Amino acid sequence: MKELLIPRKLVMRIASAGIVLVAVMFVCSLIGTESVSLKAAFGGAGQLPTVNPDYEIFVKVRLPRIILAAIVGAALACSGVVFQALLRNPLADPYILGISSGAGLGTIIAVLSGFNWTLWGRSPIAIFAFAGALGTVWLVWFISRLTGKFHVTGLLLAGVVVNAFFSAVIMFLISVAKGEQVYATIFWLMGNMTEEDFFVLWMGAGCVLAGILALFNISPQLNVLSFGEEDARNIGINTARIQTIAFAAAAFITAIAVSLSGLVGFVGLIVPHAVRLVWGPDHRQLLPLSGIIGAIFLVVADTLARIIVAPAQLPVGIVTAMVGGPFFLVLLVRHSRKVSWLK
Amino acid sequence: MSGIIEVENLSFSYTPQSTVLKDISFEVMPGTLLAVAGPNGAGKSTLLNLLCGTLTPKSGIIRIDAAAIESYKTEALAKKVAVVRQEFVPVFGFSVIEMVLMARTPYFGQLGFESKADRQIVNEALKATDTIQFALRPLGSLSGGERQRVFIARALAQNTTILLLDEPTSFLDLKHQVGIYDLLKEAQLEKGKTIVVVTQDINLAAQYADEILLLGADNSYHIGKIEDVFFPEQIEKVFGVKIFTGSVGQEKFFLPLGKFAKDSGQINSKPNSS
Repeated sequence: MKELLIPRKLVMRIASAGIVLVAVMFVCSLIGTESVSLKAAFGGAGQLPTVNPDYEIFVKVRLPRIILAAIVGAALACSGVVFQALLRNPLADPYILGISSGAGLGTIIAVLSGFNWTLWGRSPIAIFAFAGALGTVWLVWFISRLTGKFHVTGLLLAGVVVNAFFSAVIMFLISVAKGEQVYATIFWLMGNMTEEDFFVLWMGAGCVLAGILALFNISPQLNVLSFGEEDARNIGINTARIQTIAFAAAAFITAIAVSLSGLVGFVGLIVPHAVRLVWGPDHRQLLPLSGIIGAIFLVVADTLARIIVAPAQLPVGIVTAMVGGPFFLVLLVRHSRKVSWLK
Repeated sequence: MSGIIEVENLSFSYTPQSTVLKDISFEVMPGTLLAVAGPNGAGKSTLLNLLCGTLTPKSGIIRIDAAAIESYKTEALAKKVAVVRQEFVPVFGFSVIEMVLMARTPYFGQLGFESKADRQIVNEALKATDTIQFALRPLGSLSGGERQRVFIARALAQNTTILLLDEPTSFLDLKHQVGIYDLLKEAQLEKGKTIVVVTQDINLAAQYADEILLLGADNSYHIGKIEDVFFPEQIEKVFGVKIFTGSVGQEKFFLPLGKFAKDSGQINSKPNSS
């Protein structure tokens, strides 16, 4: 039994989740191999910030990385929600239609070509990954269009095949690459947070937020679409328009996330499920809450990645899978009796 | 007065070799209940999908409320025609009331939420279908008959004049079958809805419908009052099976007799043994 969602309740929940996110980001920014004192970092107005190590670590190392984790987590979780709704498949995740292998292919090409220019402060790896991701999604979309209309099975099959093909190309390129190039690629494939400058962060945050807002705007229609395309059209939903917006926005924010941090797995699959298990499947609530909780999850996971094997660092993708998997199973077992689609 | 649904020389085929519907013309008057019957593959569901715009005719015209169906935008057509397809368990665990509220999605405000008026309409639909007592339960926890009523509630909440249903009673027990037809008849008589129901059950169709459209597998069709369409010879011919016809009061009923029916010889000789 649950009550009906009303706007006031939705705003309250989003606001509380937002407060928790800010609190978590704050706490995580204080955790690390070096202990940082806020008093030392921001106290002493006369001091030059450049010679203040606490300020340096807090503002230039920790904070950017935590903000980056929040952006990537929010993007992946929201995009997971949307792909699950569009494909009417609880097993869908942001990478299901080949974004991962496309981005991976872009990355390894960038690594092998040895480019060393930058564009807006981004290395060629990020730009190639972004292009590879969007290019692959477009290719999968285009192939499924050839089979007729927006066909879920056609789309999924095209995604699986393109994924498999590009993975084979990646394996081929890895097998002919040199040692340090392989290392760089594999590190990227595991998903990894690095310190970014603030310009890149604001750009990424702006793009991801715009994408999430566009998706939130169509969330009532996503509810109807999860009952099937014909049903939705009979109710009066312009399905072609909604599917195009949902598909484009979800692919776009995933490509941004992937180009910022590599292939961080699990967030886009388990966060939407966890939120759905606890708060229900209504996309008007599922989407914003998944975004915020995805951000919290990745911030915490990346903090763990920084400290578990300190002073060395783990790729965050390993932590998300190792922490997220068991956590999700516990949630699944505890809530499965309440949830009908599991039966 | 002209029909609210007008079909003129309608033909449809999925592949060039096989025609499903050929040159069909009929009209449905406002406030009538039309049952579409016929053997598998005769094109019943195809016709329903044509009438709600999911399929496009190969030739011929369908007019809804005097305007060609192609001239309607998706949203405008959804204000005229609501469809109940065969019930299924959806992927995600929406509750009954959440699903019925989705019928109002095209009318939602800027924030994506329903208005008081929408709530009112949905409440009426839940009451009319007797589903309000489990409004907060998840769809997946309902029985087939209950779930079918919820799908009908959603169609009612669209507030359309026309209601199309595809085999609404196919997996239901006798009580629930009658329950669904009672519900449809009430919607017809009390709210003046025009109802087209595709069905395999010719007995319930004969009992509840005002008119019957009988589609044959050989592209033939018959439309008219029950007694003009449902007579033993015609049913035997269209369905290709021996039929026993009986009657109780004013209701006629038809029973198929198979190859192994016991002592069927003596019944066959006098078909109207009431």
